[in-house]
Amino acid sequence: ESHTQYERVGADVTMKCGSMDWDAAVTWTANGTDIDESHLNGSYLILKNVNLSQSGQYSCYEGSSWHLKYQTNLRVGTPPKEPVLMCRSNNYPKGFYCSWHLPTPTYMPNTFNISVIHGTKDMVCEKDAVPKNRCHIRYLQLFSTVKYKVTLTVTNPLGKNFTTLTFDEFAIVKPDPPESVVAKPVPNNPRRLEVSWQNPSSWPDPESFPLKFFLRYRPLILDQWQHVELSDGTSHTITDAYAGKEYIIQVAAKDNDIGTWSDWSVAVHATPWTEEPKHLTTEAQITETTSASTSSFMAPPTTKICDKGAVVGSGAMAVCWTAGLVVAAYSVLFI
Amino acid sequence: MAAAESPSAALRRRDLCSRGIRLAGKMRADVVDLLDAYVEQQGLDASASVAAVEGVPLAAVERWDEQTGTQRLLENLAAYRAFRALLAQMLEEQREQLGEADAGLGRALAAVLLQVSAFAYHLEELLRLESRGVPGEEGDEEEEDGPPPPPRLSLFEQKLRGLGVLRELAQWAVRSVRDLRQLAKPSPATGAAPGLVESP
Repeated sequence: ESHTQYERVGADVTMKCGSMDWDAAVTWTANGTDIDESHLNGSYLILKNVNLSQSGQYSCYEGSSWHLKYQTNLRVGTPPKEPVLMCRSNNYPKGFYCSWHLPTPTYMPNTFNISVIHGTKDMVCEKDAVPKNRCHIRYLQLFSTVKYKVTLTVTNPLGKNFTTLTFDEFAIVKPDPPESVVAKPVPNNPRRLEVSWQNPSSWPDPESFPLKFFLRYRPLILDQWQHVELSDGTSHTITDAYAGKEYIIQVAAKDNDIGTWSDWSVAVHATPWTEEPKHLTTEAQITETTSASTSSFMAPPTTKICDKGAVVGSGAMAVCWTAGLVVAAYSVLFI
Repeated sequence: MAAAESPSAALRRRDLCSRGIRLAGKMRADVVDLLDAYVEQQGLDASASVAAVEGVPLAAVERWDEQTGTQRLLENLAAYRAFRALLAQMLEEQREQLGEADAGLGRALAAVLLQVSAFAYHLEELLRLESRGVPGEEGDEEEEDGPPPPPRLSLFEQKLRGLGVLRELAQWAVRSVRDLRQLAKPSPATGAAPGLVESP
């Protein structure tokens, strides 16, 4: 005879050896290990204030014959706490999904039951295969002011609990983040970055239900984001980037008329175009230069080999500190 | 009979749809503000459920995506005509109840009423463009008579009805934007509004 026995953490548990009399001589084992007689009251096994580690296979054997008389799988756990439920429409106007989880584990099997009512009408929330704690509903009506009421009940052998969400059709609309975000420098434009993205693939009809977008960007070296809201299109050119600085860029989406903003997209990084400094050729080329050439050089006017702000002098003689040092070093070489 | 829509008619339709979308968007924003003010000034609970009120056109629709262009226009027009009458009634009740005490709410109601009237006219233009007759206003509804005075409601019932009217109007404004976007699309052969068939 074998079965499963569920007990609450902290409970006192008494196990009988099947149909054996109280005064029968028996031996109990837990996961194959003999249990000390001090835990026995006659043939009953007494476990006080059980904890999770006491879950396992308990077996009872008749004293002399060692016949297995009874076996039980003891599962120690807790009744379910109030479950956490979330409902969202990322595929408006097709429908919405609800997903749930327990805030703390119960250490035993739980069954979830979900009911959805729209006004007086019961709706069926079809369970998804993956993930298992999720179900989806197709909208039968659109533009309804009648609220949806979703009740999730969780039951396990030690008890049950439930939670309820009430919402209207528009409030739960939240698209997935935009996809395939790409940021590229713009040739010959040191302050521009071209950003493009795509509508989330889960959004079924962007033509009839257009999305608007929110772009945020900042150089890695700063904490403050710049924001741009875009009411149409899936691209934008940033025109105020700091030259030469690497940027981090993200995009979010929202239905043009209802609901809330998506989470931010995966971040992309990009650095605006900078001209290759022509004089910084390979070392080999520099050392091959003969003494007939000038012992110093001037950077061509378009070359930028240092940040703005590190420039000394002005006009044609403007050089920056680092360039000055390089000039001095090579001058010494060729003297 | 498949007749191609003339380019000028197509342009005019797209133009009317775009303007209609902007009108509906502005109207919705104003209705939402009006709703907030109404709830506060009438001492109502914003989350109160209001049962469907007789005579208030419900925005809720099944199989919305399967509607033809003409169906969309006709349903929208019927709704906004009903709202025009309902808002006029609310304005009248407002003046009776409060006189000058709540001029702000009255002005906001009047402004929304104006937009509703303008939008109804806009829908009529779109229907005319489709070479559809614009339905007359009297005797159009089967179940409810629009303008004839309903039974006198208590003050509280009037307030609740007003809440229901504004909530449905806000939903309609969103629906209208969606409907006009559908209308603005080049229509496929199936499900196209009569008179709105375009040859590829």
